[in-house]
Amino acid sequence: MTQQEAEAAKAVAKPSWIPWNSVAESGLAIIMGFLVGGGIIALAGFNPALFYRGLIEGAFGSPRALMDTISYMTPIMLTGLSFAIAARANLFNIGSEGQMYMGVLAAASIGAFVALPEGLHQMVILFVSFLLGGFIAALAGWLKIKRGVHEVVSTIMLNWIGFYLLTYLAIFVLFDPLRAYKTTTILPSATVPFVTSGTSLSYAVVIAIVVCIVCYFLLWRTTLGYNIRAVGLNPTSSEYGGIKVSRTMVTAMFISGGVAALAGALEIMGRFWYVDTEASYVRNLGFDGIAVALVGRNHPLGIIISSFFFAMLKTGGQAVQIYTSEAGRTGIPLEMSLAIQGVIIVFASIPSIIALVKKFTEGRKK
Amino acid sequence: MADAGLLEIFLTATFYIGMFRFMVPITLSALGEIVAEKSGVVNIGLEGMIMLGGLASVFVGYFTANVWLALGAGIGVGAAVGALHAFIAIYLRGDQIVDGVGINLFAYGIGVIVLYLTWGTFANSPIIPLSARVPSIFGVSPFVPFTLVMCALVWYFLEKTTYGLRLRAVGENPEVAEAAGINVYRVRLAATIFGAVLSTLAGAFLGIDWLASYARDISAGRGFIALALVVFSKWNPLILIGGGLLFGFFYDFAISIRSGIVPDQLLGAIPYIATLVIVSGLVGRARPPKASGKPYKRE
Amino acid sequence: MPQAFSMKGIVKVYSDGTVALRGVDFSAEEGEIHGLLGENGAGKTTLMNILFGRIRMTRGETFVRGKRAIIKSPHDAMALGIGMVHQHFMLIPAFTALDNVILGLETAKKGVMIDRKTAREKLEALIKSSGLAVDLDARVEDLPVGIQQRLEILKLMYRGADIIVLDEPTSVLTPVEVDELFSFLRSLKAQGKTVVFISHKLREVMAITDRVTVLRKGQLVRTVKTAETTQGALAQMMVGRDVVFTLTKKPSTPGEVVLSVRDLKVRDVTGRQTVKGVSFDVRGGEIFGIAGVEGNGQTQLVEALTGLTKVQSGTVLLGGVEVQNRPPHVLYAQGLAHVPEDRHRRGLILEFSMLENSVLGLQMREPFSGRFGVLDPEEMEKWTQKIISDFSVDVSSTSSPASSLSGGNQQKVICGREMLKNPRIVVASQPTRGLDVAATEYIRSLLLKMRDEGKGVLLVSADLDEVTMLSDRMAIMYEGQFVDIVDPSKVSERDLGLMFGGIKREAPA
Repeated sequence: MTQQEAEAAKAVAKPSWIPWNSVAESGLAIIMGFLVGGGIIALAGFNPALFYRGLIEGAFGSPRALMDTISYMTPIMLTGLSFAIAARANLFNIGSEGQMYMGVLAAASIGAFVALPEGLHQMVILFVSFLLGGFIAALAGWLKIKRGVHEVVSTIMLNWIGFYLLTYLAIFVLFDPLRAYKTTTILPSATVPFVTSGTSLSYAVVIAIVVCIVCYFLLWRTTLGYNIRAVGLNPTSSEYGGIKVSRTMVTAMFISGGVAALAGALEIMGRFWYVDTEASYVRNLGFDGIAVALVGRNHPLGIIISSFFFAMLKTGGQAVQIYTSEAGRTGIPLEMSLAIQGVIIVFASIPSIIALVKKFTEGRKK
Repeated sequence: MADAGLLEIFLTATFYIGMFRFMVPITLSALGEIVAEKSGVVNIGLEGMIMLGGLASVFVGYFTANVWLALGAGIGVGAAVGALHAFIAIYLRGDQIVDGVGINLFAYGIGVIVLYLTWGTFANSPIIPLSARVPSIFGVSPFVPFTLVMCALVWYFLEKTTYGLRLRAVGENPEVAEAAGINVYRVRLAATIFGAVLSTLAGAFLGIDWLASYARDISAGRGFIALALVVFSKWNPLILIGGGLLFGFFYDFAISIRSGIVPDQLLGAIPYIATLVIVSGLVGRARPPKASGKPYKRE
Repeated sequence: MPQAFSMKGIVKVYSDGTVALRGVDFSAEEGEIHGLLGENGAGKTTLMNILFGRIRMTRGETFVRGKRAIIKSPHDAMALGIGMVHQHFMLIPAFTALDNVILGLETAKKGVMIDRKTAREKLEALIKSSGLAVDLDARVEDLPVGIQQRLEILKLMYRGADIIVLDEPTSVLTPVEVDELFSFLRSLKAQGKTVVFISHKLREVMAITDRVTVLRKGQLVRTVKTAETTQGALAQMMVGRDVVFTLTKKPSTPGEVVLSVRDLKVRDVTGRQTVKGVSFDVRGGEIFGIAGVEGNGQTQLVEALTGLTKVQSGTVLLGGVEVQNRPPHVLYAQGLAHVPEDRHRRGLILEFSMLENSVLGLQMREPFSGRFGVLDPEEMEKWTQKIISDFSVDVSSTSSPASSLSGGNQQKVICGREMLKNPRIVVASQPTRGLDVAATEYIRSLLLKMRDEGKGVLLVSADLDEVTMLSDRMAIMYEGQFVDIVDPSKVSERDLGLMFGGIKREAPA
């Protein structure tokens, strides 16, 4: 490293705990997402400005809308956190869908069929969920270490297996005898109370935020967290530093899966109190989490902010459909926000565009 | 069909036709990925590419009612997406895995948008006109022999031609290949685009041949099963044929014994359980090309 | 004899400022075997890589067969008939020998198909005429290293090379294979081909070459006729000490044995014996140095001693406790400190802050890790500040990432961390590699300080000046074994040079 480079690097590394580079990159990704999205909207013959207005109104327009937005943060915050924890160990846990389904399963079964006093009931459900999800994810981690199976393939397979397991049990075991399309409603002792009746916002969001903060603490303030991050950045130096690399990787997967499972459990306990037998209530929350994590730069605090943004896309997107509809023509579907989300991910997944462009031009000059 | 006993289904022609049908998309996609990975580039976005191929071909097929244009659209989209992934993975040396995940999600979102904006539904698009569909010959789609022939051709290319040798060298040891005068970047670019085109063709098969329509879950994890197939076949296109048939068998089997005795859900899980077991157990420790997934920097 | 090639005034300066070659003249005649001799970093490989087109020269001229030549790539070199067999073979392990030879050649095809048949015929004729037997259908990874080397040579000859450069060819060969190689080289010479033989092994250079050129620190020392010189003279030319730094060293007062190694053997993944039975002791209060050209097993020895590689057989006692094959954290607990040879790959996590790096290896211990594994940031900060002040680390903030520190400061952080652990013994491997003058001096003074405080120091370095200057006792490592253990203040340059080349000094001259 030359003298100037060292100086420049020192300047960049100046203490300021907001990582401006990362915020800029995420911001850039979001802007590109909206630009491209706006382009697609315009191509489809709609007015992008209307879209954005509808989005904002739908997300914050009324106290009720705002509370809905906040409540949507809960599951994607946790699935995002799940991806981020594994990513810190340089593992790609795309299996948050399946791990989340395990949480749904635990909540729908223990919540409905096991009677426990309130307080204890919720804790048991959360605990069992965490174990189930953790176990599935750890299995994928173990397969990678012992048999070289890439975790992307194994976790995706487990997603589908989890999905089928959930729907099978939902239809045949947990079903509501009076209404075949759903599982038995969970007992009141298993629910998480709503903040205000009439909205979908329950205290589950508080639990989710607490989990995020706990994970932040875990990653940066404990030996285990240190080890996980070290292994993700430099396995050979980690080995030198006395860290058992394989064991740490499996542990990271375990925690990652457990957190994703919590997302599923809380959706049942906090919002729906049952799940439909096709599990459509909870579909895609896992994948949404990946977008949240990427934009949140795999940092628990960034994920809280990022999840708010994506929740806004969701609630706003629903309103947009109405906003942009005219006589004889349906409005922009709420899935538009999905496409925007996808574009954002593609941009967010191009790591550090700035640094790469620099590298590229440097290489050309040589 | 519902009355066919468990073993009797193996005696019907429909079972075998079905098995080949299931084989086509996963095998085509896996074949493309074998070529790409043999050159050292990993593409996790196969799922998205299948979707995009299906979307483009159905869209064009619906409006032009011309099967050739529809196929062309599928190929064109493959070239575009392949070039994008190649640019990110090879020239920008970005994270190949994350980029693939992004492509998957983007494809899913775009697919749903187009589905809704064009046909006003979130479920299935309408069946495309007959003239846009790939005609079947004696009840068998031309894609089936196409897939088998492609596997053989790719095998021949990789093993018996000088270009195949160079491609494999690039994937094993790019420094040595470069020293031997081979342009590593260009070879990888070509391989990636080829791989992407095969995946979009797989999607086109789903869209304008078998299902003759587009649905948001048209791919249903096939892209990832293709990835598993790549490992399972030890990067050998000939073994891939067997692997594709094996997985096709599981899919078809799960569908065919839908008789109400065993719940659909458990049957539906069979292909995925099978994939997982096979990839973890049977394969043992297959060795990928040495430089697979690692960005190459020309000194 | 006419000149095969001639390089004049070759200068090579790298983009980071390192000067590898300072204006070297080098030429070889047709039909001769010309040795290129020098220590690590003398510039031999760099010079030949320039001839072969892998590296571009900064200044100078090359003539091949009397005509001016511009060589920009290995392709150009091969077109001129120049071929090089590197220390790390340019072979694809998963391919067969045959395929490795024909890779990239336009002529090996019939249309689009590989024409293996013609190639095979040509190769088999070549094998017959040269006596280099290789199983063409075997996969390279299954071939023993000596045969792989033959394949590399075959590759060159298939492409019509008549100037053949071999970089340290005997480092991977058994004595029998060395003899075979030598008779092959003589047959090449008889055919009028030119061979450049890069080596640091004196005996071999004396045995096979017609002339020898000695390089030292990027400069040409002299070119002599082999018949008119001796091993001793060559050794002196190779090593000729210019002592750049002077450090005053107190006499050592060695105490108890802190590290005891008996008959240590290490095997690498391919089964090759890299350490062939090494025994020595290190006492507290002394610096034990291990010198020698890199690649003679030093790295593997250090990794085995520090818990990073498995030991095949033998014992290692640290503070009296057997520690061979125990993991690093156990060794650290027993009083081991390790300054690794590769600070980026082993010693630091560049993306971590300086604070976090300062406890690497200690993050699971008190006082940094408290109950439930919670880290104590105050203790970590205290520790880091102590490193900064005691070791003069120049850094703006403890939360700066380690990548923002200069090489010297990075090394200071590592040394500080390791030495503040109050270890029994410090194993320092290539500790001043890549550092500027000031940092180098400083690190060396740190090692002396450790030794004066009664700790044991094991210093492994390819920099002979460094090892002789700092060590109280010194071993020279050659091909996995210690040639001898000597007192550096009492051994002559000539004897040192000989030992570097694998020859134990004779009775006092």
